[in-house]
Amino acid sequence: MSPISTLPVTCVESETKSSQAVLEPAARSSKTRWKVMCVDLAAPFDELSCPASYGGVWVIFFFEGVAFGHCELSREQLPLSSVQLAGVAARVSAEAVGDCLFDEGFRSPLPGLPSPKLQDPERALMRLTHCERPLDTLESTAGIAAPDSRVSVSVAVCTRERPQDLARCLASLENLAEAPLEIVVVDNAPESEATRQVVASFPGVRYRCEPRRGLSAARNAALSHATGDVVAFVDDDVVVHPDWMSRISRCFEDSGVMVATGLVLPAELETQAQLMFERDFQFFHQGYRRRRFDSDYFEASRATGAQVWTLGAGANMAIRRKAFDLGYRFDTRLGPGVFGGCGEDSEYWYRVLRDGWTCVYEPAACVFHYHRREMSALRRLVYEYMKGHAAALILQFAKSGHWGNLHRLFLQLPAEYSMLCLRLIATGFCLEDRILLRGSLGCFSGLAFAFALLKNSSPKTV
Amino acid sequence: MWTKTEKRYQIVQIDLRHPLEQVTVPQGASGIAFVPRSNGRPVGFFMEEHPEGTVIRPRDLAVKLFQWCGRQILAEKIYDELRWRLDCAGFPQLDISICTHGRPDALKRCLQSLDDLGLTGAIGGTRVIVVDNAPNDDRTAQVVHSFPGVKYVVEPKPGLDFARNRAIQEGSADLLAFLDDDVIVDACWLQGLREAWAANPDAAAFTGPILPYELETRAQIAFERMGGFGKNFDRVRFGRALPRIPTYPVGAGMFGAGANMVFRRSVLKQLGGFDDALDTGAPLAGGGDLDIFYRVVQAGYPLVREPALVVYHQHRREYAKLRHQMWTWGLGTMAYITKSWRADPADRPKIRRWLLWWASYQLSKILVPFLRRTQERWPWDMVLAEMCGAVIGLWGEYDRSLARVEKVRRQFA
Repeated sequence: MSPISTLPVTCVESETKSSQAVLEPAARSSKTRWKVMCVDLAAPFDELSCPASYGGVWVIFFFEGVAFGHCELSREQLPLSSVQLAGVAARVSAEAVGDCLFDEGFRSPLPGLPSPKLQDPERALMRLTHCERPLDTLESTAGIAAPDSRVSVSVAVCTRERPQDLARCLASLENLAEAPLEIVVVDNAPESEATRQVVASFPGVRYRCEPRRGLSAARNAALSHATGDVVAFVDDDVVVHPDWMSRISRCFEDSGVMVATGLVLPAELETQAQLMFERDFQFFHQGYRRRRFDSDYFEASRATGAQVWTLGAGANMAIRRKAFDLGYRFDTRLGPGVFGGCGEDSEYWYRVLRDGWTCVYEPAACVFHYHRREMSALRRLVYEYMKGHAAALILQFAKSGHWGNLHRLFLQLPAEYSMLCLRLIATGFCLEDRILLRGSLGCFSGLAFAFALLKNSSPKTV
Repeated sequence: MWTKTEKRYQIVQIDLRHPLEQVTVPQGASGIAFVPRSNGRPVGFFMEEHPEGTVIRPRDLAVKLFQWCGRQILAEKIYDELRWRLDCAGFPQLDISICTHGRPDALKRCLQSLDDLGLTGAIGGTRVIVVDNAPNDDRTAQVVHSFPGVKYVVEPKPGLDFARNRAIQEGSADLLAFLDDDVIVDACWLQGLREAWAANPDAAAFTGPILPYELETRAQIAFERMGGFGKNFDRVRFGRALPRIPTYPVGAGMFGAGANMVFRRSVLKQLGGFDDALDTGAPLAGGGDLDIFYRVVQAGYPLVREPALVVYHQHRREYAKLRHQMWTWGLGTMAYITKSWRADPADRPKIRRWLLWWASYQLSKILVPFLRRTQERWPWDMVLAEMCGAVIGLWGEYDRSLARVEKVRRQFA
């Protein structure tokens, strides 16, 4: 990886060019078009300047293949010399560096809970103030370099009629620093042969067809067919970092961990819709610091609902296959293709946490996601996400009887949308907030899931 | 206004290189203010209310310090590591100008702090210039003469920006610093400026944190509680735009304040210097610093906020004077906004939006303490004073000031 580059993955450029042609020119005004750049802090880097016809640069700072922070720099702020860029890097990456370097003091608070208390504050402060050259220390003592995985990993990609995206994803998987045990592509309710043909062009990638429609069914099929100890899922619209697999597999050295999720970074921000998805909504971004969700967390946050959706994104998650053997399945009544645009992953995490297992969020394992480019798609996505979220809350309540889920659904969400309405009035109905408000409609239609549940026979619980 | 009487706050500098010791709130104090230093530089400013005699154990202090400035300490260390060896060679000549009017004691303290850094001797490319603004007696001149090497200049036209413009004409050094007479500089001030310059040789302006010199009276404590002069220790290089802040750079509050600012002289000259009609002293004592920051940034020059460029400012001691200062702040800010409104027709939507934000911000100052606990507290009479000042400021104050200044010019022509 050169010090300043686009993505630390190869094979991206050619693929994006082909899909750029479909965009209407209006969506590509330079104001709303930002270039995603990666800066490697381990090597001396040069001046950062703004590429022509971009409104600015979305710069992500890496050190030894781990992302530590990002910053938006508009065209008017650029170019920046290396020293000036160092100032930006230091500011945005300090917390994540501290989290890797010290055992306490920079721990990320868990959603819904207060910040963790310092056990030995004097020692923590002493270690901080006497730490010279933190990045060197990170390299030499904190073991930041990518580890060899000790568990066998099957990589699963669930896809449906997106052959171009899939090809890009599989190409990035070929560049993994360490080869996985196998790569399985699950073709979900295919309408054409396109997916099969793409897979055929990648030797060694297994193809599986799952005729039942829905991402949940596809994921269950992947879990049942995979042979590795860990099944790592990526969506078809991502490209993975070369170290992604070894880093996510490391989480499973702790035998209590059933699920690990990773960091999802933007692969491109070419349109206003992509920028809004990444910057204003932050559906995927969960920060650059590690988080560990265990039964203690679940108990502490149960009264108001464990915020499982903050665990990560289904676009980048790994599951220990033992969970499948124990009977944990994705609920096929929920998820893309069936009901709502998400929720099946967080509902799965909810059951895993409920039963005393541990989930971790490991930002060192990162993938780059191609957000939807069209504003209409973003609108639909917000609606579908909230629909899925509401349905997941209902399902979690139905399966576990935890009132916290209804607390979230009938108190927190209405309160949040009331605040949003106030903000809408205050900010003069800006586009971001109007789109967000569509989510409330999604919530209402998500409530329909409850009726479907009541009508059906008693739900199967795990 | 709070009912409790505020006596005084003890300001404690804590060097984090050494193990922490316990801190006791002295007799007669009602609180403590901390200035932690890492690597010899201040990394933050925090104040807390405590009854006198309270003992803060090292353990509790460590928790607070970590929470307040842990991130800042580490960010500074990463910056030191990433920037490798910053080459400060070639640092240009520097003129430090202090514009003063009838405050010889404060001026003496300020000059002494510069003398401690070895800056008053007019050697090593640095020279101190005192601009005595419309003096009534020779006390200021006497103070200046007790520091050999410091240049003394008289500007007869009353008005801070007349004095500042005089300072621009007086010297020839590339960099020109402006300090208020009621500040003292921190020991790392010059080194901070050198490094900020080395990292940003193209910047036209540098500003830094302004911490309180003392917190001895209710007014001084109230002023710090209201946020003071801004104590942001983030290192920021401002340009023509700032993502996510639609009204930027209108308002210019994020840049810094006139008590501690450094400019490239050539840029000041090119921009026509400070606006004489702002910062005229009573009745319009303010806005000149905001105006120059705004114009520097609008002209496309970078402005750098450097955390090591620290000074300590002696705030108004009397409560009534503080209230009057808040009034002039509102007045000065709006006079500057009026000026920008006329100068930049293209930016009017931004200015309109900023005015709306400003009004809601003032309201929130009054309302927020009722809704949640905050560090900052605004007495309602202060907010009211600022708002009234703002209304008058928008009501043609800039034109009145222009007329007054024209009269002064004719008088001294």
